[in-house]
Amino acid sequence: MAEQVLNVTNLSIDIPLSGDVLHAVDGISVSVNKGETLCIVGESGCGKSLTSLAIMDLLPQKAIRTVDKLELNGKSILNYSDREMSDVRGNKIGMIFQEPMTSLNPSFTVENQMIETLTRHRNITGNSAKKLAVEMLEKVGITPAKPRLKQYPHQLSGGLRQRVMIAMTLLCQPELIIADEPTTALDVTIQAQILELLKRLQSDFNTGLILITHDLGVVAKIADRVAVMYAGQIVEEGSVYEIFDNPSHPYTKGLLSCIPVPGKIKKGERLGSIPGMVPSLIGKFTECRFAGRWTVEPSKHDEKISTLIPIKGSKYEFLVDGTTNHIVRFCCTHCLERSKSKINKGIN
Amino acid sequence: MAEIMIDAKSIIKDFKITKGLFLGKENLRAVDGVSLQVSQGEVLAIVGESGCGKTTLAKILLGLLKPDSGSIELCGSKIDQIPRLKLAKTVQPIFQDPYSSLNPRKTIGSIITLPMRVQGEKESTEWTKRAFKTMDLVGLPSRMFNQYPNQLSGGQRQRVAIARALINKPKIVICDEPTSALDVSVQSQILNLLNDLREELNLTYVLISHNLAVVEHMATRVAVMYFGEKVEESETEKLFSNPQHQYTKTLLSSILPPDPRQRSKEN
Repeated sequence: MAEQVLNVTNLSIDIPLSGDVLHAVDGISVSVNKGETLCIVGESGCGKSLTSLAIMDLLPQKAIRTVDKLELNGKSILNYSDREMSDVRGNKIGMIFQEPMTSLNPSFTVENQMIETLTRHRNITGNSAKKLAVEMLEKVGITPAKPRLKQYPHQLSGGLRQRVMIAMTLLCQPELIIADEPTTALDVTIQAQILELLKRLQSDFNTGLILITHDLGVVAKIADRVAVMYAGQIVEEGSVYEIFDNPSHPYTKGLLSCIPVPGKIKKGERLGSIPGMVPSLIGKFTECRFAGRWTVEPSKHDEKISTLIPIKGSKYEFLVDGTTNHIVRFCCTHCLERSKSKINKGIN
Repeated sequence: MAEIMIDAKSIIKDFKITKGLFLGKENLRAVDGVSLQVSQGEVLAIVGESGCGKTTLAKILLGLLKPDSGSIELCGSKIDQIPRLKLAKTVQPIFQDPYSSLNPRKTIGSIITLPMRVQGEKESTEWTKRAFKTMDLVGLPSRMFNQYPNQLSGGQRQRVAIARALINKPKIVICDEPTSALDVSVQSQILNLLNDLREELNLTYVLISHNLAVVEHMATRVAVMYFGEKVEESETEKLFSNPQHQYTKTLLSSILPPDPRQRSKEN
């Protein structure tokens, strides 16, 4: 069994609003092994980013986090004080944010910002710190690195800034990296380079990687395991091949049918779509989370029918037949029936 | 032979960049001798990385920027000889970010009807009828007429932007990254809508995008831009199967196919 870097069980995030509660994340469990890439995909507003912030304990003050288990490398970091948490952040868990312009401080040079991490966590200063910074910049493909140290973020292009961010994150060789849409703001050519780089560095350092994205192309390229999030819950998770070859939740199927695949969809043919929008997460759900989001005509992905095996102790969780870790979760009887009817159709 | 809607010949656009307080100015050539021809009903996609002059070119085609040299003809008449109001009836834009392209203080109804007001049409029942018809066309429920943009989702806002562009029945629509700010599920809705509208209203599109999967799905012809120059232009199938220019090849190799099995092939 591979070593587990992160283990989160039953995480919920509630945000109190005037008179009501927004259930942003509703009882999700995530785990990442050493050297593994977990991709969390979903539409905007489904709680992906809040999940990553909750792991780092960086939620907005108003938000209430309840979690059964939060373990990093087998040690619980659940009850850490602020001081202890800031030893973990940047040191054991690194984070790469979406917009490198807003996450780098515009009034400090690259050198300042990189060395700060080292001084804070490793107590390395002066020339040795500088040397490490240069080495790391070279590792992420910034050559020559020395002149870049004296530059300010605004003097760097988007791709370079993101590389600097990655270099900063890697300086302390964290055990876990959380990357929140690391390539969304970048050009396609640079996106490919950055993903390539992340993948390579990850295998070099054997870190766990949580990648949050809504681009299924990115997922296909880099993920080992995929968790599909919808309205604060993980509706389907499994290995990347299982998710792409045999999506079992209607929502995953819908999501996959939305993307134009070169060669698969003929020109002028309509793309599949998911009607409606992500439901409001304020208050308790009285009806199905997917109400109003079912496609009227079944898309072509539905031709493949999967058989589900119920998981003991839970009503709406199922294991997809023939696999050990491909799990589908339904939110209510209604949406279970909805996909079950399809299953039956296939058997008949 | 289809009518030629856009005929642009060797467009050059320079920007003056201040180098420093007393250092004078530097020339930045944003668009360098680009020629384009788009016939009726075509979808011409312009691809390239950020800063290669795609948006500048779009602005020139919209008549918002004057090129330093070169000539543009829209529907057979020179762009600088078309009166402003008539130009607005010929070509319309759809912008990237529906969050910043709609005035937050105006209702959806007044956003959509603004082009008619600008054209000097008298407010009448006919007016609102047309607005409702256009809203129906782009799939917006009529109850949204009196709502404000902040009450709408990203996809709905983009539909409002499309309705606003289409209400005066333009012949050419210039879409500058119409879906890059949207989720995939919404993106497919908007792309389907744009495709339907093209057939229904016989529109001509210029589509600017850096999402090559979208480009392959939508475009009939693709022009690749690199540092202000058009380095390659051909039919979509031909470009994707047989790219000529080195930059096009790099661009195509950076497509991420949504299929994990193709990963091993690339590496």
